[in-house]
Amino acid sequence: MVKGIMNAPPLSPGGGGQWALTPSGGARGETGHKSEMLDSLLGLGGLMLLRDSVEWEGRSLLKALIKKCALSGGQVHILGCEVSEEEFREGFDSDINNRLVYRDFFRDPLNWSKTGEALPGGPLGALTAMCKRTDPGPVTIAVDSLSWLLLHLPCTTLCQTLHALSRQDSCPGDSFPVGQVRVLGLLHEELHSPGPVGALSSLAQTEVTLGGTMGQASAHILCRRPRQRPTHQTQWFCILPDFSLDLQEGPPVESQAHPDPHTPPVDPMTHLTFNLHLSKKEREARDNLTLPFQFSSEKQQALLRPGLGQATSHIFYEPDAYDDLDQEDPDDDLDI
Amino acid sequence: MAAAATCGTGAGSTASMASEASKSNVTSFQRRGPRASGTDSGGTRLVSIAGTRPSVRNGQLLVSTGLPALDQLLGGGLAVGTVLLIEEDKYNIYSPLLFKYFLAEGIISGHTLLIASAKEDPADILQELPAPLLDDNCKKELDKDVYNHKTPESNVKMKIAWRYQLSPKMEQIGPVSPSRFGHYYDASKRIPQELIEASKWHGFFLPEKISSPLKVEPCSLTHGYLKLLQFIQNIIYEEGFDGSNPQKKQKNILRIGIQNLGSPLWGDDVCCTETCDNSHSLTKFLYLLRGLLRTSLSACIITMPTHLIQNKAIIARVTNLSDTVVGLESFIGSERETNPLYKDYHGLIHIRQIPRLNNLICDESDVKDLAFKLKRKLFTIERLHLPPDLSDTVSRSSKQDLAESAKRLGPGCGMMAGGKKHLDF
Repeated sequence: MVKGIMNAPPLSPGGGGQWALTPSGGARGETGHKSEMLDSLLGLGGLMLLRDSVEWEGRSLLKALIKKCALSGGQVHILGCEVSEEEFREGFDSDINNRLVYRDFFRDPLNWSKTGEALPGGPLGALTAMCKRTDPGPVTIAVDSLSWLLLHLPCTTLCQTLHALSRQDSCPGDSFPVGQVRVLGLLHEELHSPGPVGALSSLAQTEVTLGGTMGQASAHILCRRPRQRPTHQTQWFCILPDFSLDLQEGPPVESQAHPDPHTPPVDPMTHLTFNLHLSKKEREARDNLTLPFQFSSEKQQALLRPGLGQATSHIFYEPDAYDDLDQEDPDDDLDI
Repeated sequence: MAAAATCGTGAGSTASMASEASKSNVTSFQRRGPRASGTDSGGTRLVSIAGTRPSVRNGQLLVSTGLPALDQLLGGGLAVGTVLLIEEDKYNIYSPLLFKYFLAEGIISGHTLLIASAKEDPADILQELPAPLLDDNCKKELDKDVYNHKTPESNVKMKIAWRYQLSPKMEQIGPVSPSRFGHYYDASKRIPQELIEASKWHGFFLPEKISSPLKVEPCSLTHGYLKLLQFIQNIIYEEGFDGSNPQKKQKNILRIGIQNLGSPLWGDDVCCTETCDNSHSLTKFLYLLRGLLRTSLSACIITMPTHLIQNKAIIARVTNLSDTVVGLESFIGSERETNPLYKDYHGLIHIRQIPRLNNLICDESDVKDLAFKLKRKLFTIERLHLPPDLSDTVSRSSKQDLAESAKRLGPGCGMMAGGKKHLDF
């Protein structure tokens, strides 16, 4: 069911489709912008895919989103596979750190040290255990990286588990509205072939691709609401050291179409053997000329008034190919 | 002599007939008995199942796909016993709509439904089916009480010749009756709940059927596909769609709908890798499914995300293994969204294959460039009218677009249309 393009947030003009955030001026506008990007990202629920690359890393955006989710209430579970727990918790203040439930798979992913605290089944087991949660309330699950999971698990299993996780909110009998479970997944695009990336992005409700130019990071956000047209937007931002988001205008757009001023344009009419220029008199004469098929008042008069030598109207007849004009009169041979 | 003799005998026979006729005092021309209702053409020997009709070309039994425009492009409808494969568009917006139209048509025609999905619960899919579109005057008829006599308001609407005013009114066949072939649906409204409850349907939702991922040996079916095939086979056998239950009086059609086949949610990694372990799983499934369908009174619609399949050879195999293949290509996100050529439409629809069932040639229409548009209520398929190629007046940029759109033309147009550069002669 197509319900129309999602309306852009009312602060900036938009026509749907792609648009870059234009400055709306004023500090009020700035603070309004700040929360909106994160709100719009987190409002959809389901799986959010953060696609980053080597130049534009996504972990800081992931941490900014985690901070926002933790501050708005609800549980936050983190599956840390790529960096150590200390490094991940760095930068968060203590009350956020207390709200995070961190499962560490970095130090001992295969559970060789056989301590009791490791969860059975590895990260997949942890994810499936989260599928079976029974406590109400919004839950955010951040996977530190889906790339790590893709390298260790078959893609289909991961897709099925993620789908089961995001389906949690539509269980019959519960009154959870859609959007209660959010899965934030970090994916390093360069590590994978287009197959798994395409498969995961077809599952995702929101896809954020990080890029940028000249030191300014940008996020290309694709929102896929069910049964509606997907919406794209590009947002320039910068992450502050305390992992809050600062939205910015894009880099100054330089006009790329500078004409090269080194060589002056060559006048092609300098070395011709004929004259292309008109003098003033010649131009006037040209303007005064009436073209033969132009209908002017003189011509009209000439047509309406019969000419001197023409007393009657003339019929101009040109015989057709089918006309049989026989010069001989067939009645000639009759003797009358 | 012999001729005279035959004439004589002929005359004798007519005389005898005349005498017989004079005995019974009626004319010797007897009217044939009334034809069985429900068949428009063909013999009376054809099974008349609600919602089906025989093809005018080869007598094959057809069911409607739910979109009369698509029926027309496919040569009248979808043949019973065949597979309709829909290649999904990139963001999967329009292919679920075709899927739902097919199922809604099944409900209106009274067919049994079998819905299989790994993504959504079949009960949820059923709730989202579109409502049938009623004509305005028929709606008024259905709202009012039935009048047996001609009311004076009919004189206002239509001047009937005096002789026919007293003739009994023809019975109104409602637009939503199962005997009509191909209904229109209102995409903005949901199907009324009582129609769903009156219908018979079976659902297959993969996460419920499979508890844990099992290890499957290579070159065999993925576990999900195996389960689905067994489910379909059970339903066909138990409900007698393959004629195994002779006590069944009224034959019916089973409409099978499989959503997102081949996606990783079915456990198939054909979309994830180029060389997968179970690379033959999908093709084997289609082969076995087609075998099941050919031996039963059923029709199947499958939507498949072919844009995710990495190995292009598999797409070719899948196309060969299906009967009718329709591809959807939406303009969202591509540069065509802003192209003025396509501004009225939401995407292109490609009829990739039409089956040759008991025929030497297939019913391919000569219209190759078709576009679809989802209006608020209706999904329409129209012929895309490319602007005429006037080489003097057309500017360079739109010439390039023409070359691109010319690429979409079918193979009948020749190889010149396939290049990127627009050749000027």
